[in-house]
Amino acid sequence: MSGYILSKDNLPKFITEIMGKNKVFAPVEVNDETYFKEIKNPKDINMKYDNSKLPPKSLLFCQTETLFKFTPGTKVKIQPPDINNSKKAIFGIRPCDAKSFFIIDPVFKEDFEDPFYVTRRDNMLLVGLSCTNPYPNCFCTSFNDSPASSKHVDILLTDIGEKYFVEVNSEKGKKIVKSSLFKPATKADETKKKEVEKKAVNSITRFQKIDKIDEKLDKIFENHFWKEIADKCLRCGTCTYLCPTCHCFDIQDESTMIEGGRVRIWDTCMIPEYTLQASGYNPRPTRANRVRNRVYHKYNYYPKNLDVIACVGCGRCIEGCPVNIDIIDVVTRAGEVKP
Amino acid sequence: MVDEKTLRDAVKKTVGRKDVKYVVGYDKGTTGFQAAPTFAYEEKDAEKFVFNPTCVNNLAVYPMLEDKPPLRKGEEPDTRKIGIVLKGCDSRAIVQIIQEKGLKREDVVIIGIPCTGVIDPKKLKVKFPGQHKSVEVKYDNDKFAVTVDGKTQKFSKDELMPEKCKECEYPTPIIHDILIGKEIKGVKKPDYKEIEGFEKKSLDDKWKNWEKEFDKCIRCYACRQACPMCYCKECMVEILDPQWVRRSVNLSENTAWNLLRAFHLAGRCISCGECERSCPMDIPLMKLNKKITKDIHEMFDYKAGVDAEAKPLLAMFKPDDPEEFIL
Amino acid sequence: MSENPYQPNLATIENIKEEVGGERAIKTFRLKFQDKNLQNNFMFQPGQCAMVSLLGKGECMFAISSSPTKKGYIEVSVMRHGKVTKALHEAEVGDVVGVRGPYGNNFDMKGWKGKNIVFIGGGIGQAPLRCLIDYVLDNKKDYGKLDVIYGARTTEDISFKDEFAELEKRKDVSVHLSIDVKEDGWKKFVGFVPDNLLKVKPSPKNTIAVTCGPPIMIKFVIQNLEKLGFNDDQIFTTLEMRMKCGIGKCGRCNIGNLYVCKDGPVFSYRELKKLQGER
Repeated sequence: MSGYILSKDNLPKFITEIMGKNKVFAPVEVNDETYFKEIKNPKDINMKYDNSKLPPKSLLFCQTETLFKFTPGTKVKIQPPDINNSKKAIFGIRPCDAKSFFIIDPVFKEDFEDPFYVTRRDNMLLVGLSCTNPYPNCFCTSFNDSPASSKHVDILLTDIGEKYFVEVNSEKGKKIVKSSLFKPATKADETKKKEVEKKAVNSITRFQKIDKIDEKLDKIFENHFWKEIADKCLRCGTCTYLCPTCHCFDIQDESTMIEGGRVRIWDTCMIPEYTLQASGYNPRPTRANRVRNRVYHKYNYYPKNLDVIACVGCGRCIEGCPVNIDIIDVVTRAGEVKP
Repeated sequence: MVDEKTLRDAVKKTVGRKDVKYVVGYDKGTTGFQAAPTFAYEEKDAEKFVFNPTCVNNLAVYPMLEDKPPLRKGEEPDTRKIGIVLKGCDSRAIVQIIQEKGLKREDVVIIGIPCTGVIDPKKLKVKFPGQHKSVEVKYDNDKFAVTVDGKTQKFSKDELMPEKCKECEYPTPIIHDILIGKEIKGVKKPDYKEIEGFEKKSLDDKWKNWEKEFDKCIRCYACRQACPMCYCKECMVEILDPQWVRRSVNLSENTAWNLLRAFHLAGRCISCGECERSCPMDIPLMKLNKKITKDIHEMFDYKAGVDAEAKPLLAMFKPDDPEEFIL
Repeated sequence: MSENPYQPNLATIENIKEEVGGERAIKTFRLKFQDKNLQNNFMFQPGQCAMVSLLGKGECMFAISSSPTKKGYIEVSVMRHGKVTKALHEAEVGDVVGVRGPYGNNFDMKGWKGKNIVFIGGGIGQAPLRCLIDYVLDNKKDYGKLDVIYGARTTEDISFKDEFAELEKRKDVSVHLSIDVKEDGWKKFVGFVPDNLLKVKPSPKNTIAVTCGPPIMIKFVIQNLEKLGFNDDQIFTTLEMRMKCGIGKCGRCNIGNLYVCKDGPVFSYRELKKLQGER
């Protein structure tokens, strides 16, 4: 781990450098909550945030996206979309949220490439910020991840007191640290980073048992357990809308008599309409079907198809659920259910 | 002070009845500052039932949320009753639903809790940031006793209660089959000061304020799902043809959604505050509902969910109804 | 930048054939791409699907019901049900629709060479089978004995009537039609499709059985095929789920870890048995 050092005094200069080349999105505090918003001034950034209310997913996979515009009626015409390929950066993204991009990448990149997501992804610089004060419901370490991992960002900053320890993880990152603001790190800095990381890891107190969870889930698909879990579910979509790895969407035409667009909107598998067929038949008619599908999608189908659990342990769904459906608890208990 | 043993006995007795499907009540949550809804299917399940100031959820939503997948050939519908643990405010939802004929009185067995107020999880979260373990909160005379990591701290109720509890008119459930403990007389009155203050603002200011709020909306519909009064078989936003509200998430559609919902609750909202509590984006939805509740009270002298025999506001007409607003 | 996979190509409705009237109306639409190059190069296999849309109304996935051996157009057969299909049923010849595809997997036409085939369809489920039957008849020398078993609720509900009449005239295909309830003048089988299958009693020897129709019919057809001695690798079906993207991204058409739009719609009974999930 050969690293660099960025002094805290130089942070605004560094951000300004990035802002010179990119549109920068960063954690900003609004009414005690943190959101990723475009910043105009380095001072707007909240460098001490614990967890953003919403994941930064929408910067790549927008909640509402016009796939193309059209003229309906007799003189049908299609107008291709204008896909913006300007350079952007997310400054201060947490390692867990950065991992979520890595998880949903194959969905949009493989088979039929999704130009909306892929264009944004390719033009997005990720400046990570180690999580030194994890949130009460954080559990990234359950997936052998670290709150201070540089694995899924271009460069990672870790607050080690009066300066940031900087790790580089990509070609884009290498270019950035060429700036004179960065100085080579000493052994002592490196040790300090490791200490900070260890402290952060140790402050995570919630754990999900995921040992062989995909195999275990295979055996309890029909178990009564899922009904017990789903009894209290309100079938609102909060868990899915707050999730950094949920990628499901709906497509609808929204038009007037003279113009329209085919629009893609985030969808949620928690509502019955999600799978309701025009004939009135619904293959997932109950909340138990849907809650189970959500858990399986993340802990069974994803590992089967892409060899990764589609959860990063950010804890947002736990925080947001109005009825305390706690994914740590649900999955851990599922693993203990006797087939 | 609710005696939990009496509560558990009542749950046991209720779930033991042949004509009862299950009882829904509260269990200790896994994390944070609030209890979780829980279900008893057999007598032994009653052991996990609790009642304390973290029992915030309005459980009246559950009879309306039941999944009703199509019956198999020869299968009879399950018409057994549902037992529900209800606080005073929550009971108004059931009263209102009965008024609207969404439920029959005999469909539910109500285990009523005379309630002296619950906590607002958001207020407690600010006091104990970083706390994830389920926190113990107890009633301690006129205070809340909060135990974190073995240390107990006392807070005045006003400090931790949500607004609705500070102005609770109906601490004892309006209808109930079993009452846990003694009836508590309601002595408080709704406080419309904040609404009156807001009414005085200029139209432009009001609009700007709501634009800011609705802009945050992510249209997860948690407000609708948590609301016991939102039990339409098909919500207007799910109807595709004609499409009343577009699925696109933007200020215009978000405004349409939130205002339409508020109007659909006119004369029906029983002020339990579940929509606002469930909103992941912290939109102050009760401000909208309360304004409409206030207007309805002033114009029609009507309160939702207090009399199961009464007619719903929008289903009746009185010759002296005000009509200045009719053009 | 890559192509936009969500953007359809425009096609004109060349012909509309009313297959079934009434409440559960079915129409077959013949579509021709406006782009001649695309029309000539639009390659697909029996079993594959296409997303057809009326701009302003929405998009739906349909099995392509015409055979790839018929050049110059594609056809989809549509039952009137939801928002999009209702609008499609109101469309007229000359109207323009959007088409994208083909999507999904297909029947193994090469692997089935030299084998007998039993086609078992019900209701609108005949659409993908129509494509398959037509394909097999256009390559008759490659395949053995052919049996077509098809049933509908009433004589009114029988789709592709004239095409069945044509098939019945042929010596190289046996056609076995049925209706669910007795009607005056109906001399063929009365009863459900799975029962008709038992009566026809096709031999499993060197035979492939393909079934498509309502889920409940498929369930009993498969049971009866097993009774007749068909093994898991001889039975094929096509599945249906609600779809939006058609390309394995939007999430909703999964059965277990597979997406019907991308990994299906054709499944062998062996694959189906392994698949744990709602359908």
